[in-house]
Amino acid sequence: MGVQKSIAYEGLVRPDRVHGSLYTNPAVFSDEMDRIFHKGWSFVGHTSEVPDIGDFRRRQIGLQPVIITRAPDNEVRVLFNRCTHRGNMICAKESGNTATFVCPYHGWTFGVGGEMRGVPQQGGMGKDFDKSAMGLANVPRLQIYRGFIFACLAAEGPSFDSYLGKARKLLDRACDMSPDGEIDLSAGWLKHRFHANWKMLPENNTDGYHVNVAHASLMRAVNAFSAQAFDEEKGDNSVTRDWGGGHTELDFAARYHQSGRPFQWFGGVPAAKMPDYVARMEQTYGKDMAQKHMIEGPPHAIIFPNLFLAELNISFLIPVSANEVIQYYTPMLLKGAPEVNARALRQTEGAMGPGSFLLPDDACMAERNQLGLAAQSPEWLDLRRGLEREYTDPETGLLSSAVSDEITNRSFWKEYLQLMSQAA
Amino acid sequence: MAMPESEIREIEAFLFLEARLADESSYDEWEALWTEDALYWVPRRPDLDPAREVSHIYDNRQRIATRMRQLKSGFRYSQTPASPMRRVVSNIEIAPAGADEYEVSANFMLMELAVQSTRNMNFWGGRVLYRLRRVDGQLRMVVKKILLVDADEPIANLAFLI
Repeated sequence: MGVQKSIAYEGLVRPDRVHGSLYTNPAVFSDEMDRIFHKGWSFVGHTSEVPDIGDFRRRQIGLQPVIITRAPDNEVRVLFNRCTHRGNMICAKESGNTATFVCPYHGWTFGVGGEMRGVPQQGGMGKDFDKSAMGLANVPRLQIYRGFIFACLAAEGPSFDSYLGKARKLLDRACDMSPDGEIDLSAGWLKHRFHANWKMLPENNTDGYHVNVAHASLMRAVNAFSAQAFDEEKGDNSVTRDWGGGHTELDFAARYHQSGRPFQWFGGVPAAKMPDYVARMEQTYGKDMAQKHMIEGPPHAIIFPNLFLAELNISFLIPVSANEVIQYYTPMLLKGAPEVNARALRQTEGAMGPGSFLLPDDACMAERNQLGLAAQSPEWLDLRRGLEREYTDPETGLLSSAVSDEITNRSFWKEYLQLMSQAA
Repeated sequence: MAMPESEIREIEAFLFLEARLADESSYDEWEALWTEDALYWVPRRPDLDPAREVSHIYDNRQRIATRMRQLKSGFRYSQTPASPMRRVVSNIEIAPAGADEYEVSANFMLMELAVQSTRNMNFWGGRVLYRLRRVDGQLRMVVKKILLVDADEPIANLAFLI
């Protein structure tokens, strides 16, 4: 057996820079799948994607195919998409509703909750064949928080609570935009292929520094967008934040409170155009708290490693290889808010996805980063921006900094290093 | 009654003109083909309900104008420079729809070179449903609905004129 040389990650992630090989080396990618996606917690889907008994939807955790299902007992399960006989991917359809999964190879049949129903010519399996032990495998650990489904493919390791930590509040902020306190991801997913390393997505998605430059074309085409500053030197007091655990945020609340107008995060739509939503929010949360929610809007944040709370969108990524990743997007519909949802659909089409006004330019930048990183010199990517002015916010207790600072990148890499340094 | 040959040729010529203007990223000329009640639509599947589900592109006339302004800004990096493209439009079927409109459908295959980043040759294909209207004697485009074969799969940047 050959001796595999292990990579010393401590030498590749420094407080103010990271090494280029972390984006390009296939051996690093392999370690990431093992240590981050196959041993740690990640986002899989949302309970509103399988609302009825028998509903199923295919997903992937790291490189492994799974199925989210709504079992006959009304519980949500996440099952490995692999027949327990010879490994056939048992569910080929993207989503649907079914009573059973039948393997097309030899006819082994499972209920939608994963339990084995039967095999053809069972006598040949021997008298000890125990159907109850041959169901589709469940992921070792599954947790649902306010509809967000997270899974961990390792039976042991950090608890869900320690993984999510304080960032639970970001999920609360998203759900509390609904007068019913619930979101609904039923509008379908846009899927976008990037020829770039997966880590560029969470790094870019809470990066305030690129917006004025990479998205200059949208600022020129749309006045409402150009009014946003993304520049602390021009009075934008938005905040970048490290929530711990690699969870990061670009919070525009302070910017929006400067004028105190609601719905600046929603193209500045006048409150008078959504009277039922405003009334229902006030009913649920009280006048003051409802006003706060409607001014501050939903979060713009990363839940490590693969979930992006993209204001009124939900997005997640599926890694493919060191050089390729797929990003998904859907509108974050709000239960009890049809006036918001009608606009949210059109806003998602404008902002997110391969045909939108924003994301194609992010994809282009990520791909150009990947191409540039093939050059061996300089070896490092510079992430020092804001290092000298970041501070612990006495109100939140969180490390925070200016809108354009790279504190979000640094907090992502802090968690990355911790996970990657574990013995394999 | 069969449609006169000259009318069929006129409609085909319009589709070929629209395809060439899109291929050559001739934004102003392409934008001028649209009526005021325009819909430029790339759904994720043919029977998608836009009131309930999200599409890749669902541009009304105003959003088409914004898209053109963005493309012409000089800073639309995902189309700077514009992708070299050529498409073939074929299998055309034409049905009159009322006094001055036509429902037209056609297959297309498009080669697009992503010169902005990877230089990958992207291959796009599907069926296009057009609604055309005669305005002051000239054909104009009311709806262009593009049904990509891989609309519900992960796709590359769709920042060019499909």
